[in-house]
Amino acid sequence: MGVKSTASNNATIFCNSKRFFRKLKEQKYLYMMVIPGIIWMLIFNYIPMYGIIIAFKDYNIISSFFEAPWAGLKHFSDFFKDDWFPIIMKNTVGISLLKLVFGFPLPIIFALFLNEIRNSTFKRTVQTISYLPHFLSWVVLGGIMITWLSESGMINELLVNMGILDKPVAFLGEPKYFWWIATISDIWKGLGWNSIIYLAAISGVDVELYESAIVDGAGRFRRMWSITLPSISGTIAILFILAVSGLLNSNFDQILVLRNSLNASSSEVIDIFVYRMGIQSARFSYATAVGLFKSVIALMLLLLANWVTRKLTGKSLF
Amino acid sequence: MKKVYLKLIACISVILLLASLFVGCTSDKKENDSEEEVSSENGNSAAQEKASEDSEGSEKVVEPGWKKDTSPVTFDWYVHFSWYNYNWGETLISKYVQEKTGVSINFIVPAGNENEKLNTMIASNTLPDFVTLGWWEDGVRKMIDGGLVYSLNELADKYDPYFYEVASPQVLKWYEQDDGKTYGYPNFAVAPEDYDKYEKIPSNQTFVVRKDMYEALGKPDMRTPEGFLAALKAAKEKFPEVNGQPLIPIGLHEFTDTGNYSLESYLANFLAIPREKDGKLYDFREDPEYIRWLKTFRKANEMGLLSPDIFIDKRAQMEEKIAQGRYFAMLYQRTDFVAAQQALYERDPNSIYIAVDGPANSNLDPPKLAGPGISGWTLTMITKNCKHPDRAIRFVSYWLSEEGQRDMYLGRQGETWDIIDGKEQYLPEYAEMARNNREQFDKVVGQDPLWMLGNSLIQMRWAPEPGPAVRQLEEWTYGKAVSYAIYDNLIPPSDSEEGIIASRIADLWGQTLPKLLLAKSDEEFDQIYQDFLKKRAEAGYEKLLAWQMQKLEENKKKLGIK
Amino acid sequence: MRRKFLARRTKGEVVFDIVNTIIMIVICFMMLYPVWYTLVNSLNDGTDAMLGGIYWWPRVFSLDSYKAVFADSKIFRAFGVSFFRTIIGTVVHVFFTSMVAYGLSKRYLMGRKYFMAMGTVTLFFSGGLIPTFLLYRSLGLLDRFVVYIIPAMFNFYNLLIFQAFFREIPDALEESAKIDGANDFYIFFKIIIPLSKPVLATIALFTGVYHWNDYFAGVIFINNPDLQPIQTFLYRVIAETTSVHMLQNMPAGIRTTSVTSHTIRLATMIVTTAPVICVYPFLQKYFVKGMLLGSIKG
Repeated sequence: MGVKSTASNNATIFCNSKRFFRKLKEQKYLYMMVIPGIIWMLIFNYIPMYGIIIAFKDYNIISSFFEAPWAGLKHFSDFFKDDWFPIIMKNTVGISLLKLVFGFPLPIIFALFLNEIRNSTFKRTVQTISYLPHFLSWVVLGGIMITWLSESGMINELLVNMGILDKPVAFLGEPKYFWWIATISDIWKGLGWNSIIYLAAISGVDVELYESAIVDGAGRFRRMWSITLPSISGTIAILFILAVSGLLNSNFDQILVLRNSLNASSSEVIDIFVYRMGIQSARFSYATAVGLFKSVIALMLLLLANWVTRKLTGKSLF
Repeated sequence: MKKVYLKLIACISVILLLASLFVGCTSDKKENDSEEEVSSENGNSAAQEKASEDSEGSEKVVEPGWKKDTSPVTFDWYVHFSWYNYNWGETLISKYVQEKTGVSINFIVPAGNENEKLNTMIASNTLPDFVTLGWWEDGVRKMIDGGLVYSLNELADKYDPYFYEVASPQVLKWYEQDDGKTYGYPNFAVAPEDYDKYEKIPSNQTFVVRKDMYEALGKPDMRTPEGFLAALKAAKEKFPEVNGQPLIPIGLHEFTDTGNYSLESYLANFLAIPREKDGKLYDFREDPEYIRWLKTFRKANEMGLLSPDIFIDKRAQMEEKIAQGRYFAMLYQRTDFVAAQQALYERDPNSIYIAVDGPANSNLDPPKLAGPGISGWTLTMITKNCKHPDRAIRFVSYWLSEEGQRDMYLGRQGETWDIIDGKEQYLPEYAEMARNNREQFDKVVGQDPLWMLGNSLIQMRWAPEPGPAVRQLEEWTYGKAVSYAIYDNLIPPSDSEEGIIASRIADLWGQTLPKLLLAKSDEEFDQIYQDFLKKRAEAGYEKLLAWQMQKLEENKKKLGIK
Repeated sequence: MRRKFLARRTKGEVVFDIVNTIIMIVICFMMLYPVWYTLVNSLNDGTDAMLGGIYWWPRVFSLDSYKAVFADSKIFRAFGVSFFRTIIGTVVHVFFTSMVAYGLSKRYLMGRKYFMAMGTVTLFFSGGLIPTFLLYRSLGLLDRFVVYIIPAMFNFYNLLIFQAFFREIPDALEESAKIDGANDFYIFFKIIIPLSKPVLATIALFTGVYHWNDYFAGVIFINNPDLQPIQTFLYRVIAETTSVHMLQNMPAGIRTTSVTSHTIRLATMIVTTAPVICVYPFLQKYFVKGMLLGSIKG
């Protein structure tokens, strides 16, 4: 009941004239669609947000959120002063950028090429198979990867036999390989799954466009480039903006299983650090502070990416 | 856009404030309500109890309380281990116990991150009737400090004096809090005095070698650094490969963020390094014997005897490699590779791992391995949300009693066990099932997973003989186990200043240890080591030590040690 | 139509098709092999599998791991919970989110900017687990089936995806309907939904897989064993125990599930994912149509 009044409060802030009511009447059906969603967000997203204040407090789960003593910006400065801070920032951003540069376009390219397959049975089979890895859990997959990437594992066997390597390398033991291992395995796991949304977008492309292109003598690449790609650019733009805003996120499950004491210098990322410092040792305020830091950066990145994308392509989130 | 956001944020924060006040108030109220309910209920039942006791008259013999009321009751019981799985009511033992006591248990087990579940329940005051968790967990202190659990004394005084007959006074004393009350009871606790009473107290800690290789090398003495390195080297030369895969000369426990169990207190115990010196806590990391052996491991790496795998592999990979017999020697808990040992034994009884004398100090003193302590393993507590605290404490007493131990271990006489050859033991069909098909046994009989209040000293009598694959490993540790109980709970609360220092230092050590082993020379080793000492001091080691010293004094008082 | 395309295949196109097919086959192999590896290992005897080296075919074939997974009678009930949760949760989510998304996709909607800004904030900021838990408790959602459905019925991220697709639909269609006197609900259900099958199928798939795979809600918000979904039930088999403290203090003879068997973990994974994988081919027709089979607007 508190929620209902807040919704109308909102409305009054927006506009206070008669025009408002006329427009409201015109748009009443649209409002009937939108308002339930707004109410849902107020209840399920906004009410619990008071939890954020513990980032500025010394919260201990026995006391309530409001009783906990204030700590100011202590947790933030602790985080920035930590010896690990520059390392984890470098690794988080580094891995994310690699995933963005390679992992973002590949599903699009895969979807484009898959779309060009003529035999529809083959096309469906390929697509079904390509999305299977998404369902392997990282805990189990990580175990398999550790075995395969070890000095006596099958990857080394293969590479040595093919003459690419002189002697086996403990891939997971060398910090310099870690970013790439994380990126490649992530792409591998998500390629088919992430291409689904592009395939859905492609299926909405008007067939007449292709037909007229063929009449004009456009080849396959030409058609992909100037018909399919522009037609799905709205979807691409939105997913790109969202991907950029996730720059400080990392694949927690994946990195948790692949990291070890030898590659720590390149595998320690924010999410793992928060887990170790915050959740394992029950330092809630600290973990919340780091989470808040991440959220603020993400929001800024989103607005930035949205602005840049709009300037460049005219497409945007809002 | 910016303006929109500012406005929005202003608007939302007002709403939030209102909403949160609203929610906060209602939830607080609810909490209070439910607490009141419980306490009033307690009051009532306590009054009834008193009345009934009065009418019974004053008997001197303390009757087991659980016999008074065996009407059906269900307890929600939280077990703080994500792998725990038990179907109460489907196994022979649980059916029998339920029939006898009326108690039925609904186990609540978290999946994934256990602390998330427990912390949520603590913060929202929604703990179930019982909670079982490791004694080292932070949650123990939180639940006690937050007043979320009953003290066992209070419940026992009120409802079941029989509790004091079956609970060990030393254990109660050990877990006593500053207010003189005890809030939880452990399982598998062994008091220091028990070491004199029982000769077969084992340790989990072993140094093992592959039997066939070790014998082929002429059973070399591996107690000295020289002998150790020579044996590893000889093994690698003589058996470069196992089943076509390279041999790993020495295996260790998994490397974690905080170091490596095998190379810490584990190794220190083999070197018989005392935990105290000159009346002060003594860190094995400062002991010259320990440093000498760490340098030996460094040397081993230089000689190519440490495989990168040991830094990378997690438990699953190690298990696989042990089953293949890929390691020549291991500093590894015997209890952690039973399945793999069994697999080796089935293929070739000669290829199993056997325990031998491992790294020792310069005097070649026998090792002082860690035996079971008075802290036990897990701690079980009754929460204030418990709807039937009277039945709960009685059930605890029942379980702790010899009768309860027998019921929980063996089940119903004639059904799962009987007296055979003058000894209480499982019927042959179940004994065989326990040996050959452990999973089936757990499912049908259901003994092992009911360990919340198990007592190893009582259950020892009924335990089946260890199988041939693992017997030698266990027997080797007899007489070498020592109680380190008083050093058990020197872990400061994780959100206290000392706790943060401790976690910093642990983290620092976790980074340092691999570097020490991978150092190119002893000089580099010394430099990394000095650097560690310096950073440790900067992190506030002295403060942590002072806290631990104080805690140690308390421990000693509790155990009556001077 | 198909014939027309085939007739126009030039030499370059043939080469393109061959290369493309080969690339796809290679990708298929790379995607399929680890899944196959998991499958054959799960079908192998547990003790024997510890020796490793099972790459193509089970060495000692055994269904024991699967028997162990199904040994617990509770698993079937858990399957049921997951099934209903996935079906109901997906339908509710897709319907609700797409409706809100449609309303918000109209640029002339009053206050749209505010609503969108409000939603964007939810993408990044959340109050954390404990406030959420307290909220659900005061709403009476705990230990009820609806805790799977209501808190998951809306998601701003999916709303954005819906919007991107709705915007591609030409306005002319809606305008002509409006002239005929149709209201927004009519337009949404009769015009937009039929035209948006690909995105509805996509979001339904994402949501369905989310519901099927989610174990967290079952851990935190549900204590009643009868309401546990399959993932919560079996997640503990897959999760590893790493607490050194626990192992150090653990008395001899206690066995943890995670130590038992690698093959059981693999079998568990196969059992829990197989049903959801099977759903895919049914949804597939909505997004693999492509140019040859004609477009939705054709």
